[in-house]
Amino acid sequence: MNPNNDTEPYDYLFKIVLIGDAGVGKTCIVQRFKSGVWVESQASTIGVDFCMKSCEVNGKKIKLQVWDTAGQERFRTITQSYYRSANGVVCAFDLTRQSTFLNVEKWMNDVSKFCEENVSKLLIGNKCDLTEERAVSREECAKVGSYYSVVDYIETSAKDNTNIEASFIKLATVLLEKHSSSNLQQEPNTVFGLGSRTKPVKSTCC
Amino acid sequence: MNYIKSFVKGTEDAMPSGAETVGRLCDRVSSSTLLDDRRDAVRALKSLSKKYRVEVGSQALPHLIEVLRSDSNDDEIIAYALETLFNLSTIDVDDEGDMVAQPETILTFIESFIAVTENVILALNMIEKDSFAARWAAVRLLTSLLRGKPNELQQIILIMPMGISRVMDLLAESREVIRNDALLALIELTRGNSNIQKIVAFENGFESIFNIIREEGSSDGGVVVEDCLLLLLHLLKSNTSNQQFFKEGSLIQHLTPFFDIDPESPWSAQKNANFHLMLKVIRTLVSPSNPSNMTSSCQLAMQHCLLLRKLSDLLMATGIPTDILTETINTVSELIRGCNENQQYFASVMAPWDPPRPALVVLLMSMVNAQQPFQLRCAVLYCFQCFLHKNAMGQSQIISTLLPSSLEPQDVSVGQLLCGGLFSVSDSLTNWLAATALSHALRSNNDAKHQLLRVQLATAPGNPPITLIRQITNIVHQTTFLQTRVGLLCLLCGWLTNCPVAVSHFLDNSTTVSFLLSQVAENGTDLEFVMHGVCALLLGICIIDNDGSVSQYTKESLIELIVARVGIERFCDALNCVPQHDIYTKALQKPQPSADEPDHLLLNHTFAKLFKTQEDVIIKTVSNLEDVKKEEEVKAAMKAHDSIVNEYKTLIREQDSKLEAFKGKCNKLEADLTSSASLLSERDAQVQQLKDQYNLLKLTQGTSGDETTAVMTKRIDDLNQQIIAKDNELKSCQQTISELKAQGDVKLSENPSADEKSQKDIISMQQELNRLSITLKEKEEELAKMTNASTSAVVQQADAASDALIAEKVAMQSQLADSKHKLDCAVVEKNQIKEENASLKQKLAEAENQIEELQKTASEHVAKYIESNSVCETIKKEQDDLLILLSDQEEKLSTYKKKLRGLGAEVSSDEGEDEYEGGDLNEEESETNNVNGEGA
Repeated sequence: MNPNNDTEPYDYLFKIVLIGDAGVGKTCIVQRFKSGVWVESQASTIGVDFCMKSCEVNGKKIKLQVWDTAGQERFRTITQSYYRSANGVVCAFDLTRQSTFLNVEKWMNDVSKFCEENVSKLLIGNKCDLTEERAVSREECAKVGSYYSVVDYIETSAKDNTNIEASFIKLATVLLEKHSSSNLQQEPNTVFGLGSRTKPVKSTCC
Repeated sequence: MNYIKSFVKGTEDAMPSGAETVGRLCDRVSSSTLLDDRRDAVRALKSLSKKYRVEVGSQALPHLIEVLRSDSNDDEIIAYALETLFNLSTIDVDDEGDMVAQPETILTFIESFIAVTENVILALNMIEKDSFAARWAAVRLLTSLLRGKPNELQQIILIMPMGISRVMDLLAESREVIRNDALLALIELTRGNSNIQKIVAFENGFESIFNIIREEGSSDGGVVVEDCLLLLLHLLKSNTSNQQFFKEGSLIQHLTPFFDIDPESPWSAQKNANFHLMLKVIRTLVSPSNPSNMTSSCQLAMQHCLLLRKLSDLLMATGIPTDILTETINTVSELIRGCNENQQYFASVMAPWDPPRPALVVLLMSMVNAQQPFQLRCAVLYCFQCFLHKNAMGQSQIISTLLPSSLEPQDVSVGQLLCGGLFSVSDSLTNWLAATALSHALRSNNDAKHQLLRVQLATAPGNPPITLIRQITNIVHQTTFLQTRVGLLCLLCGWLTNCPVAVSHFLDNSTTVSFLLSQVAENGTDLEFVMHGVCALLLGICIIDNDGSVSQYTKESLIELIVARVGIERFCDALNCVPQHDIYTKALQKPQPSADEPDHLLLNHTFAKLFKTQEDVIIKTVSNLEDVKKEEEVKAAMKAHDSIVNEYKTLIREQDSKLEAFKGKCNKLEADLTSSASLLSERDAQVQQLKDQYNLLKLTQGTSGDETTAVMTKRIDDLNQQIIAKDNELKSCQQTISELKAQGDVKLSENPSADEKSQKDIISMQQELNRLSITLKEKEEELAKMTNASTSAVVQQADAASDALIAEKVAMQSQLADSKHKLDCAVVEKNQIKEENASLKQKLAEAENQIEELQKTASEHVAKYIESNSVCETIKKEQDDLLILLSDQEEKLSTYKKKLRGLGAEVSSDEGEDEYEGGDLNEEESETNNVNGEGA
């Protein structure tokens, strides 16, 4: 990692929250994206980990704040707190485990409940390298993806480094288009807006 | 709810009317159908809530909750209810002094309130009320609840969807009162809960805080800035993730503007507080207890965003309150600690004096100045310590200012200041600080330790110069100040550790050891025991790092002295005394020197760490003299063995290379041999060929030559015979002629008539005869010629036959000449062949010589080869012996190690190395085997 990474100026900063069932490989995806490494065994994430990565899209310097949430049920309430201010959500599932695919519904419901309405979503089917053990067909996934109007459905492999960077760049590109068109452009080197706070929070009282 | 009942019982008698009133009001709240009635009742409860805390708390809670649930449309009643709850849950001293709430009462109420999670959710929902009163009350209630039962409430809020986010929203509240109270709530909410801290950071908490700080006037701002900084501190303290977020989010540069201070603006108490918190925030990011990569990246970031420069400027500025200055020094210290780039920057900072002086010198001047505040002096020491932490170059620069060569009389140097401080007679703290500072210049730097041994001091005029170490030892003896003595002893401990040369310099003074021993043996006060422990440690270091160069005080003799003078037990007790002391534990905790009183500043962090590592080793060494001796022996033996092994190793290596060279040579010779053998066989074949050719030639030459000669001779014989035959013919011809003459004469006489005719005939005949005789003559001539040419054959007469004969003869002659010529040619050829043959023979002889020579060299090579093989054999043998020796060694070593372990000594587990060496040897062995295999 470039040691001066943190002091580089940037044009946009986007918050991306990574969600999905436990063990689908969220932390591996982040590790791969951030430092290009793949670690076979990852301990379960506790709460939320974060990382930052700068990239360039259409000539704009973009800083991505990736929040890697814990997939385990017991952290659900904590991780939900991260939905609201997210600009983008990456929902990941494991192509070899159907249950994780079925749970996409649950995660997407959370997203629609807690996130901003126009949040950009990306559906990721991870572990695409295990073609033999594949449990969900690509068409099915794409269908579910379009049902939840995600910007794209992408099959990835953190192990083989397939489509990892491409996924984030795709999301960043969409976010860039959205924000430059809606004139949310930031002054260079200022942190991302306080404007996101203005939306009233949905009441969750029972 | 037994506890509530117990309260009710306990206080009923004391305040009967209050309880009754509260009861009546509660009834009204629950039973009245009119909102106005209920509102009035709640307002009345609110006004009573401070005075009759217990009563209202015990009776009204369910009714108030019900109000929150069912009357949420009426902001006013909600506000009253929330305020009542707030009053009930707030610990405060009443202004009137009537009644000070009991913390237990309040805690009980809070417990009962949060026992039902829904209550908290209800209260939290109210912070979304637009009504100022309701929202404000809700925030304050939240703060109070958090203050009472922080952990429980944090858990409840954490698992509420958007719980924290909603509190965060309040930071953007335009009504400042609410925003400020939200800050207070967040301070409580984030206290010690890293999950909440992370969520706040995620919700742009840092940015919001910086915005508020900016709006409120930064360092000159009021208490709100202080609250912001406190929240910032909570978010960062012991939260690596948030620190990383802070750093990677480029937020460090937002700290710098805080230090753009207006020199005109006064240092109010508030500004002081703000500054303190801000400096704490910075120190949190670069704390020595953080992960080192984190600290160093933050340090660099702070240098790059000019924060270090701002702080350094602040250090050199005037009019800064002492406490701020002290804290700034501490902050700068941690900003440069162990970070070379920052240390170099700091070394270049100059104080705006005339002439400008390095900031470090200016700071040290304050440190050795007894007039300066204690904390400030400690901070300077810390700064000096951090400046030299992992900074070998800085250390040598400091030491070099003490060396005579670089002394410039008019310039104040660090060395001068430290020396002055060391030997100042009036202030023991100055001595201690200077000694400790100097010890930091020596830490883990053997070069500096050696350099410092060179330092000489001029004491009094006329006296010879004295070495620094001797002078320090003298002062240790003479001083009456405990602090001075301990400081200098600690300096000595640091100096002598891992430096046998310094140990021998130190022991060279005969009184030193007895002084130390007497100190260990003495009794004394609490603090004196610490000093005795330090003396014991110094003795121990003299034992451990003793190279035996001072014959009077070798390792063993020192231990024997301890045994004889104080006893091992006493010595160990003296050592054990130190770790039990508060001063020691405090020093060990963190690098920053601190003490409540100047007198209690005896040990520093570095020394405490040194003590911790050395103590056990010393006790073990000292308590077992026999072992020490044995160990020495073992060490010596091991060393000897090591050297032998090394010798062998080099020998083997040499032999190996030699063998390699031999092998190369051998290969070359072999190749030479094969090439010469092939050359030889080639030559052989050539020679054979030539021989064959020669034989063939000889054969053909022999037969053809003989034949030709034979043919020639035969021909010549034939010719001779022919010539004889011709002679005979010629004779017969002459006879015929003479007969014819006679006939003619007869005829002439017989027939005269026919005389004329016969005359004519005779004439013609005579003519013919003449012609014939001419021809004959010619023939004769020819014959003579022929006879001359051949072996004395004479042809007298010639006719047509003779013509042919002559022609034949000529032909034969030419043929003869031809054959003669051919013979000549053959002879020449023969000669040539002979010559050729001779040259070939010569060549053959040469080739044979060559072969002989080659065979000779080949046999030489073979001899050499055999020789090298035998060398190789001997090497192998030697190596085998060596291996056996080695394995013996290893066995011995392991038994010794085992023994040592059995004795509890720390045996450096260099097993891996052993294995490695073993592997190495095996490799060498297999190599040798390979060579042998090839040789075989």
